[in-house]
Order: sequence, then structure tokens, then C-alpha cells
Amino acid sequence: MNAHSSLLGLYEPGQGWLFRFPVGLKYLLLLLVTVPPLVWGHWGVTVAALAAVLVLLGSSGIGPVRALRIGWVLWILLLVMAVYHLVSFNPAAAVVQSGTILVAVLAARMLTLTTSTPVLMDALGRALGPLRWVRIDPRQVALAVALMIRSVPYLIGSIDDARDAARARGRDRNPALLLTPVIVGAVAYAERTGEALHARGLPGDD
Amino acid sequence: MISLRGVSVVIPAVRRGDADRVLLRDITLDLAERRIALVGANGSGKSTLLRLLNGLRLPTAGTVSVDGHDTVKEPRAVRSRVGFVFTDPLAQLLMSTPIEDVELSLRSRIRGQRERTRRAQELLDERGLGHLAHQSIYDLSGGERQLVALTSVLAVEPAILVADEPTTLLDLRNRRALRRTFAALDQQLIYSTHDLDVAADADRVLVLHEGRVIADAEPAAALAAYEEVLV
Repeated sequence: MNAHSSLLGLYEPGQGWLFRFPVGLKYLLLLLVTVPPLVWGHWGVTVAALAAVLVLLGSSGIGPVRALRIGWVLWILLLVMAVYHLVSFNPAAAVVQSGTILVAVLAARMLTLTTSTPVLMDALGRALGPLRWVRIDPRQVALAVALMIRSVPYLIGSIDDARDAARARGRDRNPALLLTPVIVGAVAYAERTGEALHARGLPGDD
Repeated sequence: MISLRGVSVVIPAVRRGDADRVLLRDITLDLAERRIALVGANGSGKSTLLRLLNGLRLPTAGTVSVDGHDTVKEPRAVRSRVGFVFTDPLAQLLMSTPIEDVELSLRSRIRGQRERTRRAQELLDERGLGHLAHQSIYDLSGGERQLVALTSVLAVEPAILVADEPTTLLDLRNRRALRRTFAALDQQLIYSTHDLDVAADADRVLVLHEGRVIADAEPAAALAAYEEVLV
């Protein structure tokens, strides 16, 4: 399993302006790029948003090859959606639906590729500060979100693992056969994550 | 000090008529030495005993306490004193890169983000892992992952470190590196192993067999008893 297949990518320190941009403003930028194609639903807006997010990433040293490395599962999903609309003689919907999802993923990657997880957790913890009024610790919620983000590459990788295991037994033609091992693997992963937190005394006395 | 009093761990039978499965039987121990090794065949109860020590597993009967804190009644106090290193470091690493993983451990101790990153880098540098700080954990070798996992657990400054077969997945070079690291630790260290050389590094060796401690002595005597049981 390789984290590079991750939907949200891996943060590596860089010199581009997005790396130095305050995390709160990056969240705002994310909304500015993703909301218009969702609201207008016009293919032109979607293409413009897609170009904008690629330019934003490119201007910070993240080229299209790295930006678009979102994993084969999502590419297949986007392709299936686009082909469905194309054979239904609705090319505009093909661009809007697949393109809007791609814009949202790339905008999320704009955040995760240029910001370390601890910084994202701190920002989220601060933003969720009002939860203290209802006796919920925002830092624990931020930790839960970070662990959820971390689980994405694992779960995508577990689909690959289950497919390889099925292929080794000559039973790779039925995708439904992958479902059980992937679900069992996800539950086991959740249990291991709990144990790993416990092993280093987390969550601590925040 | 860790104390076990009359500890048993039993898994109830799934089907009526089957016998319960006993993982540990009536174990009473005081663990005070600086380095303690557990040896025993697969299924002898080593991992179960180790997991009792920081509350990852709770006893079915008897009590386990760490510096007077019961693992059932005061789990948080126990967790903060006893760090645990798993056999497979990938099961231990929670973040995508070494530096983020160590930072996670430092989160409740150091609030400032820059100071936390600086300290995490410092801890990785101390273990010779600084150059790997921003690599994906999936791109590290088994030995590097194990050292990162150890660094992350030690970052919370536990008084006691428990390690479940930490050298099993390592090659000879990484095994030696980990032994050197263990030898230099200030913490009390309790570990299980199948490697008799690693067991011989300890001050005291416990031999487990079918859920019981059948030998408890300094390494030479205990390992002789272990070889007798195996043969």
C-alpha cells in the first residue's frame, strides 16, 4: 500500500506562497474555488474553477502530475460518470458532475499538500472552540478528523490488497468479493488505531 | 513498579460444551528490574501478559497495578506511565510522515506549533532519523519504521516501556541498532522476544509456557530452562 495513491496527498515542506499562506485563508480559498461550480452548475464555471485550482497549485510549485495523482479508484469513478452522461447525449453534465468532484478533490489537496496535519489539526481545534460550551473538547474532535484523513490512503490501499488476494486465488472477476475483506480490514484498522493511541497514552490530559 | 496479583485471562468458549480457553493462569509477579525479558513459544501468553501491563487487555481475574494505579480503575494514569511498542510498526504509526507522527505525541505537552515541530525534528535527529522526517511512512524500511514508532512512543515520556517482539520483523543490522537503542534508554523496559541473544540483554528473564511462568531468573538460568521446555 502506498500513500502516494492517497486521495488527499502527502504534505512535503515547500517554498511556494501557498505553504506560507495562513491556514484560515487557505480554507477560505478552498470555499472560493469549490462553491461556484456547485452553485451555478454550468460547464464553463466548472472548467474555470478547475483551471483556477491547477494554477493555484502550479504557482506554488505543485505541478499537474503531482496535483492529479488522486488514485485510480477516483479516476475510474469520474470516468464512469462522464461516459454515462456522454452516451446520454449530455456532454455538459459530463463536465459539470465529474469536473465539480475533481475541483473539490483538488481544492482539498491544495490544503493538504501545502499544510502539515498538525497545523490543520490546530486550526480545526481553534475553529471548533465553541464546542467547549457543550463540553466537547475541540482538540479531540480535531484529532478524530486527522485520523479520518490518515485512514483514506489505508482504505484505498486495502481495496488494492483485497484485489491482489482475490487475484492470487484466481477470483478477481467479481468486485462484490472484495467487499467483505475491505470492510473487515476497515474494522480491524479502526481497532488498531485505538490501540495505537492507547499505546502512547493518547488522548492525553489536553 | 508493576505488580500482578493472581492474574488470569480466560476467553469463554463460543459453543456450549467446549472448554474455556485459558491464556494466563494465576500469575503473581512484581516487575521492578530495569530490563525484563519474556520468552516462550508461540501461544504461551507473552503478548497477553505484556498487553495487561498498560491496560490494552484487562484481566479476567486478579489485579494489575502500575506504581499503585490499577489498570482497570485508573486506566488514564496507567496509560500515561506505560508506553507500548507493537511488533508491526505500521500498526503503531498514526500519521503519514515521521515528523507528523512524533508531533502527535507531543501535542498535549507542547502547545506552540513551531516549538512542537522543532522538538519533533530534534527527537528524530537524536535517533538518526532526521533525514526521513518528511518521507511517507510507507516508503520507510521495517527498521526505520520501528525506530520511528519507538521515537513516537518515547516522545510522551513514559516511565516504563513495554515492547512486544520488537525485533521480530527486523534484519540483523536493524536488530543490532534497536538493541543499542534499548540499552541506552532511561526507562524501565519489559519486552518479549524469540531471540535468545536479545533476551540475554535483560537483568531478569521470565519463561512462559501454556499461560504460566515456569522459570523466573537471571538470563543464563532462565534460558536454560526455556531450552529444556522447547526440546
